[in-house]
Formats: sequence, C-alpha cells, structure tokens
Amino acid sequence: MLEVFDIRKRFGEVAALNGVSLRVGRGELVGFLGPNGAGKSTTMRAIMGLIAIDSGSITWDRAPITARVRREFGYMPAERGMYPKMTVRDQLVYFARLAGLSPSAAKKAAESWMERVDVHHRADDEVQALSSGNQQRVQLAIALVHEPALLILDEPFSGLDPVAVENMKSILLGQVERGTSVLFSSHQLDLVSDITRNVVIVDGGHVVLEGDVREIRERAAFRYASIGFAEDCRWVPEMLDVELIDRSPRALRLRVPAATEPAAVLADATRAGRVVEFSFAPPDLSEVFLASVGRDASNESEEVRA
Amino acid sequence: MSSASTVRLVMLREVRQRLHSLGFFIFTGLLCFGIITIGIVKRTLGEDGPARHHMAVIGAAPAGFADAVREVAQSLGIEIRVDSVGSRSAAEQQLRSGELDIVIDPTAGQLISRSKPPDQLAASANTAWRLSKATAAARSAALDDQQISSILSPAPLVPDFLQPDRNSTGNVATIVGTAAAAMLFVAISAFGGMVLTGVVEEKSTGVVEVLLSHVRAHQLLAGKVFGIGAVAMTQFGAALLSGLIALRISGITVPGAVWIGLPTTILWFIVGFVLYSTLFALAGSFVSRQEDAQGAAAPISMVFTAAYLTVFALGNSPYATTTRIVSMLPPFAPLLMPLRIATGAASVFEIGLSAVLLLAATYAMLRLAGAVYGRTLLHRGARLSWREALRMTSS
Repeated sequence: MLEVFDIRKRFGEVAALNGVSLRVGRGELVGFLGPNGAGKSTTMRAIMGLIAIDSGSITWDRAPITARVRREFGYMPAERGMYPKMTVRDQLVYFARLAGLSPSAAKKAAESWMERVDVHHRADDEVQALSSGNQQRVQLAIALVHEPALLILDEPFSGLDPVAVENMKSILLGQVERGTSVLFSSHQLDLVSDITRNVVIVDGGHVVLEGDVREIRERAAFRYASIGFAEDCRWVPEMLDVELIDRSPRALRLRVPAATEPAAVLADATRAGRVVEFSFAPPDLSEVFLASVGRDASNESEEVRA
Repeated sequence: MSSASTVRLVMLREVRQRLHSLGFFIFTGLLCFGIITIGIVKRTLGEDGPARHHMAVIGAAPAGFADAVREVAQSLGIEIRVDSVGSRSAAEQQLRSGELDIVIDPTAGQLISRSKPPDQLAASANTAWRLSKATAAARSAALDDQQISSILSPAPLVPDFLQPDRNSTGNVATIVGTAAAAMLFVAISAFGGMVLTGVVEEKSTGVVEVLLSHVRAHQLLAGKVFGIGAVAMTQFGAALLSGLIALRISGITVPGAVWIGLPTTILWFIVGFVLYSTLFALAGSFVSRQEDAQGAAAPISMVFTAAYLTVFALGNSPYATTTRIVSMLPPFAPLLMPLRIATGAASVFEIGLSAVLLLAATYAMLRLAGAVYGRTLLHRGARLSWREALRMTSS
C-alpha cells in the first residue's frame, strides 16, 4: 500500500504542497484530480523520489521507499520522457533491463507490451517518427514493461483519441485486476468516474475532497431536478431555496438543497401540468470538483474563488 | 541488479547510440585516412628524407671517387647517384634538361652545373675529389691501404655533450607529443560535447525522470561518461594506430622515449577524458534546453582551450620551470604531460606527482558530480550557475 502522509514542499516563496495525504491500496485505482498547479505532478514526483519533500512521509507497505523499492514502480510523467532517436523496441527493452529484467525476459516483455498497447507494427521505428498518441502508448508500455507493483501515471489520458482511451482504460483495469496499485491524474473527470470510484481532489497544495465518487456526489449540498411537461407550462416552483438553472417551454432544470424531498418537487410540478419526465440526482463529479476547488460550475470562466 | 551492471547497461546504450550514427564511422574513417595520407605525402615529397642528386663524371672517374662521393654525401645527409657520361657536350645537354644536377670533368678539373649547386652537393663533390686525389697520391708514394686509411680517414671525434641536446632529440618527439595533444583536444572537444548534449537531451526530452525511477543519478553519469569514453577511446586508438602507420610510411625514425610515452599518453587520455567529460555532464545538468548547453559549458571549454594552447606556448621548452609546474596542474596535465614524457623531459617524480594530482582531482570531481548531478538533473527552467548548483547540493 502506498501511503502519503502530510507532505509539504516549498519552491522558494511558493508552497507547492501544503500537507497532502493519500492512500492507494493493493489493487486499488485512485484518480488524482485538481486544477493546474494544484500539486498533482509535484506529489507524483515526490512519490517517485524526483523531488525531496520538506516534511511528511511517503511509504510503501509501511516502509520508506528506497531506490530498490522504487524499481518496482512504474512511472509515466506528464511531459513525456523517451529517447527520440531510439526505436520503440530498443526503448522498451532498455527500460525493462534497467528495471532488473534479464535480457530474454526484457525482450519478451517488450514484445508483449508492444502488442498490448498496439504499437507492434512500429517496433523498429524511432520514437520521434510516431504520432503523439502512439508515443503515449509507448510511454505507458515503458511504465508497465516490468509489471510494476505501483503505477504512477501523470495525465495518461491527455491527447488520446477515443479508441486509445478505451485501450488505456482496459489496460489500467487489467493491471488493477492483477493486484497493481494505480494512482493516475486527469482532467477528464467523467472519464475518471467512469473507471474508478476512488478519487482524491487537491487544490492549492492540499486535499480538498477524497473518497468514493458516489459518496462525494451524495455529500454535495445540492441536487439537480429536471422536469419535462407534456405541454407548454409556465410553472414557477414556490419552494424555498430553489434556483432555476435552465428553462424551455416544456422543460426546466432546478437546483435544490440536498435535503429536499424529490416527491415534494414532483408533487408540486404535477399540480402545474402533466409531467412526462422527471429526474433528481446529485451533481456529477465535474461539478463537485469545480465547487470543491472554489469555482462555480456554471461560471467556470470567471474563476471566482470562494 | 548490482550498481555495476546498471552502469554497464547505461554504458552499452550510449555506445550503441553513438555507433548507430553513420557520422561517427565517416569521421573516424576520414581522420585515419587523413593521418595516413600525411605519412604518404611526407614520403613521396621526401620532405624529411634525404635530398637526392644525380652526378655524372665525364669519361672515367678517378679510382674510388664514386664511393667517396656516396660516403661523404651520406654523412651530410643527402643522396648522390654517380654515373658517367661520354662527352662534355652530352653532359651539358643533360644538365640543361635537368637529368643531371652536377658534372665532374676530371681532365679539366672542373665542377659543372647550370647554376650554383646546393652547398652539400658541392661539398660532397669537392671532399670526394680531394680524397680520391690524396688516395691516388698516397698510393703512388707506395703506402699500403692501412697507412692510407689511417692518414686519410682517422677515427672521427667522439661527441661528449655537457648538456644533452634537447632540441634535436625533441624534434620528432615534440611533433608526436603535439599531435597527441591535438588528437586529445579533438577527441575531448567532440566526445565531451557528446556528453554535454547527451545530458541535455535526456533533460529536455524528460526521459531523465523515467530513468531516475530506475537508476541513481551517479550511475547515469558514470554510464554516460564511460560509454561515450569507450567510443572516444576506439576512435583515439584508430587515430593513434594510423599515426604509427603514417610514421612508418614516412620513414621518420621515432625516438625511444615516444614509445615509452605511448602507454602513459593513453592513461592521461583516459583520465583527462573522464575529468573533462564529467565537467561537461555537470554543465549539461544545469540547463533544460539544448540552446543553453554551450553557454553552461563555456567556462570548461575556456579552461580546456587554454590548456591546449599551453602545448604550443610551452611545448618547445619542455624543461622550463613554467612548463614543469603547468604540466602538473590537473586541467593542463592531460595535454602537456604526454608531450613532456615523449620528449624525455619529465622525470619519474614529475610523472608520478602529475598522475597522482590528476587522479585525485578526477576522483574529487566524480564525488562532487555524483552529489550535484542528482539535484541539478531534475532542475527545470532557467540555467543554473555553478554557484547555485553547489548551493542546491549543500542545502
């Protein structure tokens, strides 16, 4: 299990990490969310030993992470890191060897991973000749080629086409199934909630929300109610604290406090006209995310801090 | 996996990357070809070989004249071929056409040439003429061969130098030493440059972040320096071999000290390369973009170029006190010391002290680099100064 406890890091005047804590258990997939500059990459680099933290602790299976332990980790940095003039195959074999695989095992692993990330047809091409999507697949293969116990992936989905996203998703889920711990960061929140229920949201160098996606959404202070009428309807809800988000002649969308009874809303609406569509749900992850990092979901461009 | 095998893996990757480029083979081929060509040119032009002349005697030459000419010519460092020619007019014609350089007319007692002959040629002819005349006179005075020989060819004076002749023995040695320094300069510039750009490439492409999750910074540094060093040694070895072949072809005799100096030259080359390329690697770790690399390496390049220039400034006086001192200083030693050893000017004590200082400096540099490299390698953004880099490590 990876345990990051209260880590802090300053770069000169800037406090990049202000007490970040998180856990990734064996076979657990944790999504790491946060706006740019929130401290996601810094946390990941600290876990990989690429920066020295000022205070706090990072442990793997309750022991400090030594260079030997780190060999069992796989890392995919946000800025891709490969030798541009090395072929795909050589690159994979090299990193597998550095991770401690024997020459024959490294070759076998390289072939297998080129197949799995679908770049085997470019095996003998230099990496610089590949499209950015394909380069990203190779980068993932480098992180995985030695079958790591912990995977740290910084923005693995950015710049991927939908087919590649599906491929990446199934690979990650496959890794989790065989017991690998995975921590990955992303901006694509819907995608995150699609593949994992565990998220950690950071902002300004500290964790603002963490836990099960469903519970986080349930914890939100408001709900959305969408009502569709059979005919045009000019109903205005009379309940307190109801906010009208959107309206068209036959439909409207409301934001109501979490404690509101859905049945009460529906009953109100039914009195005004014939209801043909009704939904009552907590906000989705991206809204929770924006709310938790202090930006209003409906007013994102203004970036107003709460 | 052991540290040594990690370093070996990094090394092998470096070697493969360098050997992957056609440019390396083309450059090495051209270098060797160029060096051997110099040897061939030296031989065909006979620039340093003996000058050759063609002499003819009208009618029959006096007894022993031809032999005497050849003997005297050899002692003066030239070669003279002696033939005979039928008549004065034929001789003059051949002189004009350039077939002959000089003609002796024994009956008229004349030395004929188109214009004033080279001194050594004229001296050879005159000395041989006097010798053959004197020998003939001695014979007619009924002296036997032994008496004639003791009168006309007494044992030569035995040289006894109060100070060994430093200039003449050093001549070829200085050339060899200077050439070795030049090769070292080219090799360290080229391959030190490769270390520099190699480090910056790893930083600018971000691959260093992935590497450092498997490898320690000092292992990366050692693998790079030794890997590129092995390639450099191969090229240096090929150039050295070509140099030896060129010397052989040119017919220049090489003083013994040069041969004795060869292994030390190679040792100084290796240690010098490690010292300078470690510095280049450090400089590379201070920058994040290839454009900044040369700027970061400028202080090292300056010291290195200065060290190279001392070879020309001080190389001709290998015994001078300044030369002695400078050749001991680690940054200068790799370039200057092999030259002093080749000329036989360096004492065993000096060689030993210089080696100890160079090795100590290189070891200290490796230790320092190992400590600094890990920090600076992950630094992103603007170029670090040497002072900032050291401060980063000490904090």
